[in-house]
Amino acid sequence: MNFLAPAFLLGLGALALPVLAHVLGRQPPRDVPFAAVRFLPEAEPVVRQRRTLRDRGLLLVRLLLLAAAVLVFSRPAVRHEGPLRVVAQVHDCVLLVDASGSMAMQIDGASHLEHAVERATAILEALPTGSKVGLWTTDPGGPRLEPTADPSRVREALERWLDDGAPRWGAWRLAEALPGAATMLPRAGDRPRFIYAIGDRFTGGLAELPSAWEGIPVLPIPASDEDAPEHVALLAVTWEPAAEIDPRAVRVQATVRRAGPAKSEAPREVAVALHIAGEEVTRTTVTLAPDSERRVEFTPTLTEDGQVAAKISLVHDDPDPLPIDEARHLWLSAERDLEVLVVNGDPSELRAHDEVYFFNTAIAASQATGSLRIAMRSMAPDQLDQDLRRRGAQALHGVDVLVLANVQAPAPDVAETLLAAVRGGMGLWITAGDRLDPQAYNATLLPLLPLPMRDAMAVGTAPGRTEARVEHLAPPVLSHPIFAGFRDVAGLETSRAKKIVLLEPEATRPHEVALSFTSGAPALITSTYGSGRVALLTTTIDRDWADLPLRPGFVPLVLGTLSFLGDSGADLAHRRVRVGEPLVLGGDTPVLVTMPNGREISVRPDKDGALVLKETYLPGHYRVRRNDADATVFVVEVDPAESTTTAADPPASPELEEASSFVSKPQWRALLLGLVVLLAIESLWRWRRAVSGTKR
Amino acid sequence: MSAEALGSLVPEEVRALIRTQSLKLGRPIHGRGFGRHAAARIGPGREFRDHRPYVPGDDPRRLDWKAFARRDRLVLRQTESEDELTLALLLDGGGGMAYGAGAERKFTFAAAVAASLAYLAHGQGDAVVYALGGGPLPPNTTLRLRRASESLATLGEALRSHRPAGVAPWPALLEAATHALPPGSLVVVLSDLLDPGGRGLPEDDERMLAGLQHLRARRHDVLLVQVLHRDEVDFPWSEDRPLRFVDLWDRRPPREGAALAMRAAYLDALQTHLRAWDEEATRRGLMLERLTTRAPLAETIARLIRRLGEHRTSLR
Repeated sequence: MNFLAPAFLLGLGALALPVLAHVLGRQPPRDVPFAAVRFLPEAEPVVRQRRTLRDRGLLLVRLLLLAAAVLVFSRPAVRHEGPLRVVAQVHDCVLLVDASGSMAMQIDGASHLEHAVERATAILEALPTGSKVGLWTTDPGGPRLEPTADPSRVREALERWLDDGAPRWGAWRLAEALPGAATMLPRAGDRPRFIYAIGDRFTGGLAELPSAWEGIPVLPIPASDEDAPEHVALLAVTWEPAAEIDPRAVRVQATVRRAGPAKSEAPREVAVALHIAGEEVTRTTVTLAPDSERRVEFTPTLTEDGQVAAKISLVHDDPDPLPIDEARHLWLSAERDLEVLVVNGDPSELRAHDEVYFFNTAIAASQATGSLRIAMRSMAPDQLDQDLRRRGAQALHGVDVLVLANVQAPAPDVAETLLAAVRGGMGLWITAGDRLDPQAYNATLLPLLPLPMRDAMAVGTAPGRTEARVEHLAPPVLSHPIFAGFRDVAGLETSRAKKIVLLEPEATRPHEVALSFTSGAPALITSTYGSGRVALLTTTIDRDWADLPLRPGFVPLVLGTLSFLGDSGADLAHRRVRVGEPLVLGGDTPVLVTMPNGREISVRPDKDGALVLKETYLPGHYRVRRNDADATVFVVEVDPAESTTTAADPPASPELEEASSFVSKPQWRALLLGLVVLLAIESLWRWRRAVSGTKR
Repeated sequence: MSAEALGSLVPEEVRALIRTQSLKLGRPIHGRGFGRHAAARIGPGREFRDHRPYVPGDDPRRLDWKAFARRDRLVLRQTESEDELTLALLLDGGGGMAYGAGAERKFTFAAAVAASLAYLAHGQGDAVVYALGGGPLPPNTTLRLRRASESLATLGEALRSHRPAGVAPWPALLEAATHALPPGSLVVVLSDLLDPGGRGLPEDDERMLAGLQHLRARRHDVLLVQVLHRDEVDFPWSEDRPLRFVDLWDRRPPREGAALAMRAAYLDALQTHLRAWDEEATRRGLMLERLTTRAPLAETIARLIRRLGEHRTSLR
């Protein structure tokens, strides 16, 4: 038996204290020669006892109690030869410990991470004398220690890390942390260098490691030799408005996966509950075959305005071995707020002739009843250019959709800012018209265009099309998200256009046609660019080239397109930030972030002027407040990839001369039990003495 | 010379007091010789008592010639006789009297009282005998009664040199005094009377009382001077620290305890004991004066003289 904290054994010296206290506290009596001894009562028994050791048994129990407490603190353990083999020759090494979410997997009553620390301790004990050992963890906030000849420092750092509850279950991969660990081992003569990588055998773990990094051999060490048990995980969670059911209904979908080696082939029933605003509103049960997944859908109707915190969670009878993916959080809202910036390329003092008159009218008509709340502002093309030049990306901060209505083309010098904004999630709707310059668009915004533009042409002027002077719209492609909720041709079938912009076919450029003319020419075509979406209407949005604005389907078309463009998922409310992932918050003024545990932190612009929230280690609902403005919200969740527990073999270790390691099996738990028993005996003893003393 | 030897034990203020006081009993006495105390019989004294007719054979020197002139017949002038008083000092020299320090030591205080009384008695021509009980001296030495006029110097020396120890043999001492003293003597017993036998047995108290009663039966006046130390009366210890009370007679095992816890029981037992002695003294015709060693000596002597002067119950 050995002791993991032998310094505490010094506490055994405290055993002398009770005896010493008795000896010192014995109070020798003062002699008084006295003539009237005859009248004094017999010697007082208590005083007589004070001078002698009484209750020797109780003293013994208390001494044992003290000794047991000291032994518990010194953590006795039985060492036996462990399964690990370490390099036998003197070397420098770094222990690289996986701290990703999957390390929360419980095996034999302890987490993978706790097993990993045990393995690390075993390595530290087995290292040849003279070796130096450092520490690196994949958690950026975890302990790091330069190589030292004193392994106890590494052990203490690991224990302190565990005791502080530091693991933060981010999706930190061992392979990504490997370069950092290697920097701790600069070449020093011929002294061998190694990296002991301790982690799980899941995705992101040991299996992804190379056998060496910059000439330093990487020795993979599984945290546990046991196979990961079966577990049920809640994977991706999404939601969208379900307007076809109710204007305030939302559709929440989640994927439940039964992963890992199944205990039995029998299907397993798992309950999934939806919580809204802290209360469970509905629950369903899914039946999962081994190693399968099922999709769950809830369609609650929201009664509260604004963003509502919701959570989907698994309900188990027994605790799941991997607790990190038992719940997923989201913010739901029956309303959607869109900020639309309209650049009017053909303004007119006559309202009916203004390029965006019908567009504005359509939006205004929808605001009374619809669930899509649109805040619209407009400007002239040169204003946009100037604003972009002056403020850069800040000019488009908060804009969900930018509409370039019959705009010639953005100036070349601001095109890159525009491209970056779309890449970052902003929607862009380009509508054609006489002022639009296809070649200029192709020159400046080609990367985001669904297809390159050709010149505008009047329909029917093409060879063989002399009989018709207009083009009719074909039935819309209802599967396109723009027409989600549409049940028929949407009142657009009678629309006609007399002039359109033709597009250059390009098979390699991904795009979707939402609406086309009967001739096959695209009328409304969409694509994605980065995180943003782009729509191109090849005819005008006013009556100059087509009668589209006069058709009953125009309003739903405008709203559907804006909703589609604004629903890129890039807005914070839909953003699913991974644990530990820094989040760039828009704007340049300080904000107050309320974390899931209620803690509030202030985020101020960094030296580059960007607002970056780094405290994203806690999964759950976050709320961001800026001055008095309405709060924006987002959700932090554990990367679903951490739920994948499919084992993969780590790379083969190089052939090395190895030495045995030892594993210390803790014994202090039994001692703790003994301590409790002794305490009970001591209390009983004292109680009996008190009772007998009272009787006497 | 002998008075000076004793006088060193008597403080100056007591001597000043003695010069103004005289030791007188409140009743006539039967002395063996002439002295200053009113005798119970007619005799040659200074105080006029009566006239009686002259009969032949009467001493013509006692004829009252002035009365003869007035009455024209011979009458004799009769006077009160004045006898010598024998003062017997029985002093407890046992271990119990060793308690206290300095002038407040019980034996020292008792010796001072005894010396003062002896000094007073000697000064007025009374016979003084003493006995010192206890101490390292052989019992036959201490028990011998001496005339103070012969050995007053030895009394002073004995009181000064005595080291209280052992137990005063009261029964034997009292019995010896009963037979040795002339009837009508004044016996002053100076003791703490706390434990006459040194064994804590009530029989010892009874034996001493019986001895004192025998003295009374021989028509001696008995004054018990109970000398106590204030610690014995007040039991002033109140500390939590345990005390071990060691028997001054060294006959009992020490008694140990917290003083505060023992105090009430002690005072209760002491009061019972003192009350019993008061009652027995009254019942047996003994004078009992209880003194503490803190009391001023002069006041104490005055108090004793006053008490003796008030005592009228000796002869029955």
